[in-house]
Formats: sequence, structure tokens, C-alpha cells
Amino acid sequence: MAAGGSLDVHVVAHDGKAVVGAVVMLHGPAGSPPAKPGAFVVDQVDKVFQPDLTVMPVGSTVTFPNSDKVSHQVYSFSPTRKFQLPLYRGTPYPPMKFDMAGIVTLGCNIHDDMIAYLVVTDAAWFGRTGKDGIWTSAELPAGNYRAEIWHPRLREDPPVIETKVALDASRAGRIEVALSKSLRPEPLDARPKSWSDY
Amino acid sequence: MRVAAIIVLSLASHLAQAESSFDLSVDARAIAVDAPTSYLYGGLGKLRFDDDHDGIQVGRVNAAWSQPIGETFQARVDASLWRFGDDNAFDLTEAYLEYRPYPANGWRSRLKVGAFYAPISLENREAGWTNPYLVTSSAINTWVGEELRTIGAEYSLGWLGTRTGHPFDAEFVAGVYGWNDPAGVLVATRGWAMHDRQTTLFGEVGEAGNGPVPGRTLFKEIDDRAGYYAGVSLKYLDRAELRVLHYDNNADSEAFDAGINDFAWLTKFDSVGLRVETANGWTFISQWLGGDTAAEPETGYEKWDFYSMFALVSKAFGPHRFSLRGDWFDMEHVVTSWPPAETDDGSAWTAGYSFDYGEHWRFSVEALEISSDTTKRAWIGEPPRATEQQLQLQVRYSF
Repeated sequence: MAAGGSLDVHVVAHDGKAVVGAVVMLHGPAGSPPAKPGAFVVDQVDKVFQPDLTVMPVGSTVTFPNSDKVSHQVYSFSPTRKFQLPLYRGTPYPPMKFDMAGIVTLGCNIHDDMIAYLVVTDAAWFGRTGKDGIWTSAELPAGNYRAEIWHPRLREDPPVIETKVALDASRAGRIEVALSKSLRPEPLDARPKSWSDY
Repeated sequence: MRVAAIIVLSLASHLAQAESSFDLSVDARAIAVDAPTSYLYGGLGKLRFDDDHDGIQVGRVNAAWSQPIGETFQARVDASLWRFGDDNAFDLTEAYLEYRPYPANGWRSRLKVGAFYAPISLENREAGWTNPYLVTSSAINTWVGEELRTIGAEYSLGWLGTRTGHPFDAEFVAGVYGWNDPAGVLVATRGWAMHDRQTTLFGEVGEAGNGPVPGRTLFKEIDDRAGYYAGVSLKYLDRAELRVLHYDNNADSEAFDAGINDFAWLTKFDSVGLRVETANGWTFISQWLGGDTAAEPETGYEKWDFYSMFALVSKAFGPHRFSLRGDWFDMEHVVTSWPPAETDDGSAWTAGYSFDYGEHWRFSVEALEISSDTTKRAWIGEPPRATEQQLQLQVRYSF
């Protein structure tokens, strides 16, 4: 296999504007080594999950500290991983391992406006599009690739967009994904701490 | 004995694990007001403050305590002082136990038992059921804070669509309660009001034996019949929320309680509210509430219709917030054996600016003008038409 091919993935909204922060998961030719698992942290600060989206290889671990003064109760009922962390502050629970690929939507059972995503992937290469709507990967072996594209505010059906591309070492590959529908509105900035549910 | 000690110790260690939180805030006001005597002091002024109660005043001292119990229960107690010298000066506005089981497959139940607010207001969303947009609540939510409290149980079932890839969440809510039989007496016998004073669970409204609001008790069971409410809330992401609620205290309007010298008022209303927020700091809230209340003394059946609506627009620039609200209200004694029928109709404009300095301080200034035509003012020798104006400065420190 020749090495050194590169691939640009452009994600463009239906109005032609760049889609920032779209998750790109690139599955390579048979035999591509999977990405190495890592240790990730999703903190809770001012009643907001930080970061609000984490992409991680299958087998990675996540710690969910709570840096707020108020207690949180983190849950997911996504089929990829169902769990709940009873009311807590600080970091009382050990890291959790995510060993199945898929999307995990996190919530807090006390503060319904809190929402975040974990994207657990078995792709060998992954990342998120930058301000220009582009994600670039270099040093790719030649062969057939399948790219999955997802964004939490996507309205497409099915929600994960799949596309295929063949790469050879001689020229840069390019995938352009144009969304057929506008994105949903972005979440509002954190509300003041003193706000409550009534 | 030893077993009891072990249980107490293990319970204490459990409570220590799920830490409680305690919040305290002190809110002081400087008031300039041009208004007839307040309903709190024997008059029919619609404000908390009047010409004899202005200058430096207590806005509110609020203490709230939350205690998680086990994994899914939480107790909350909210107490406030609105004025030195009130009976039960420091008294509860809410006290309840909430059960929040974990969501399963996109659905979640919640159960609240105790004394708390029904989900009616879309503006009173700050700790202590405070309005973060303006110091003074709308006529609708002033009334909710004065006359309504769920003293009973509320169940809600929510569909958490935003956790399953949808842009909507929906919730159905139903409450069953007692001890709210006098609800309706203030809007019928006084008319609408505008302020931020919430009636405490063991407190009274007005001065005993003085004027049209002679020390009213709002939270009392008179007819041994439970009331109910049922409603739906629909949310679009975190941008918009629509709430609809039907309320009926199911009171036996012939029942009378000599202890508080009041009837059970049969009060029914519907409320519809919408709140929309934008990414650049705009908030729009509008609410409509309309219904009727009835009491049945020996002289015959008496019925009052009431409705109010408001529209609020607010813009936040970081810690600065500007808000403007228009209120419209109407009350009419539609069935009466003592004509002429009393009416109270009017409108109000409230404009405010607030500045949050760090986590602890809030500075607000608010101007308010209410114009109303209240026929009952003739009873106390005042002209029915009145324009009330108030300028207030607020300094609040939250610990």
C-alpha cells in the first residue's frame, strides 16, 4: 500500500455556509489499525457539560467530574450505553469505559437544559470540521474509504450521513457533503446559576 | 438502642454524602411612589408600597435549603421575609419532597409532594420563584404568588425528545391539592395587583380588620374537597416553551369557615403562555390567564370573571438586562345580588434595567405605571380611576 494520500472532507450547509464542528469518522481499507483508546473528561461547570461533544475511539474511558456547587445526576438512555450516576458533587465515580460504537446523549436529571454528546467510534481516523467546514487527514494509505458525518444539530434522515471515496497516493482526495436541510439552532449560552425549574 | 444508633449513623453518613445546599439572599429597596394606600394597609392601591411605606424598605430576605435524600429524592424548603413586623415574619413559601426517578427510554416521571408552585409562570424562573427580568411580576403572576399554592401532590410525565435526536420535549402534568379554597377572594374583592410579594404558607394578606383586604388567609381547607389542575408543556430545544394549564379548585362555594371568616371560592381558570429566547440575548414572554370565581353566601350566588394578559420583551447584554412589559387586566362581578356590579380594569407598563455584578450582587432600577378603573374605590372614598407610579432601586446580595 502506498502511503501519503490526504483527504479533505467539506461539510456545507444547505445555504452554502461552512458547517463547523461536524464529526467526521473515516473507516479505512481492511487491515487499517483502529485508533487507540484514550482517557477523556466531561466536566460540569455552571450547569453546562464541558465539552458539549467528545469524539473518542471505542474502548476509551470518560470521567464526569462535577465542578459546580450544586449536585448533578448524569444519565444516558442511549442504546450505545445506558447508565446513571447518582446525585453527586466533585469526582466520586471512577472513569467509565465505552466499548461499543455509537452516539451517547448525556443529560442531567436535575437540570433538563444540560445536554452533551459522546461519539464513540471504531473508525481509524476521526475529527471535527474547523471554522472553514473542513476536516483534513493526511498520510492515508491508498484504498477504499467510507466516511460517516454527524452533527448534533443535523436534521438529515438518516442522521448519520455516509459517503465513500477511493484514495490513491498520487492526488488529494476530497469529499463534499452538502446538507439538504438547515441545521437546528445552536444551544443558548449558559443561563445564570440562580435560575431554577418552576 | 444500638440498632437505632447504627441506623442514625448510617443515615447521617448518607446525608453527608449527598450534600445539602443552602442559599441566602438579602434584597433591599429604595422606593419612590405616588399611589393610593396599598391593599396591604387598608386601601385599594395595587402595589406593595405606598406614600406611607416608601424610602428604604425590605425587598425580601430569602433562605432556601435543598437536601438530596438517597439517589432520587430531594427535599426543598424556601422561606422568606417581606417586611419586619408581619405576623410569622419569616415564613415558608414552598416546602416539598420531590421524587425524580431516572429516565428510561426517553420517558421520565416526577412526583412532588408538599407545598409548591404549579407550573404556570414563565417569568418567575429564578431561585425563590423570583422574576429575573423585572423586580415586579406581571399582574397574572403577582396573583399566582398571592393566591395559589399546590398543597398536595403533582405528577408529571415527560418525553425527553431532545435526548433521542428530536428537537422537542413534551411534558404532561397533573396536580391534586387541598388547602387552597380561599383562592379567588383577592382578585374578586380587591381586583388585580402588581408586586413581588408572595403569600407565605402561614401568613395573611392585608391588615386584620382593615379595609377591603382585611387580613386574608389563602391556604385553608374549608370544604374537604380536593382541587386539581392539568397541563401540558411543549419545548422546542431550549429556545421556546409553550405551557397550557387548566385549574379548578373544585370548591364547594357554599362552604364557609368562621375561623378565617371566608368562603370556599370556586375558582377555575385556563392559562396559556409562550416564552421564546434567541441566541443573541432576546427573550419574549406572553401569557394569558382567564377564568371565574364564585362564592355563595345566603344572599345568593355571586360570580366574578377575571382575565389578564401580558407581553414582556427583554434583552441581555452580558450582565446587563433591559426589560419592558405591558399588562392588561380586567375583573367583573358578573352575577350579583348587590348591584351595581364591581369592576376592576386597567393596564400597566413596567420598564427595568438590571446589572449582575459578579456572582453575588444584583442592582436593578424599575419604573412602573398602573392605570386602573376600580369601582370599589368609591367604598373607601376614593375616585375609581387611579394612576399609580413607582420607581424602585433594588440592591440584592446572594450568598
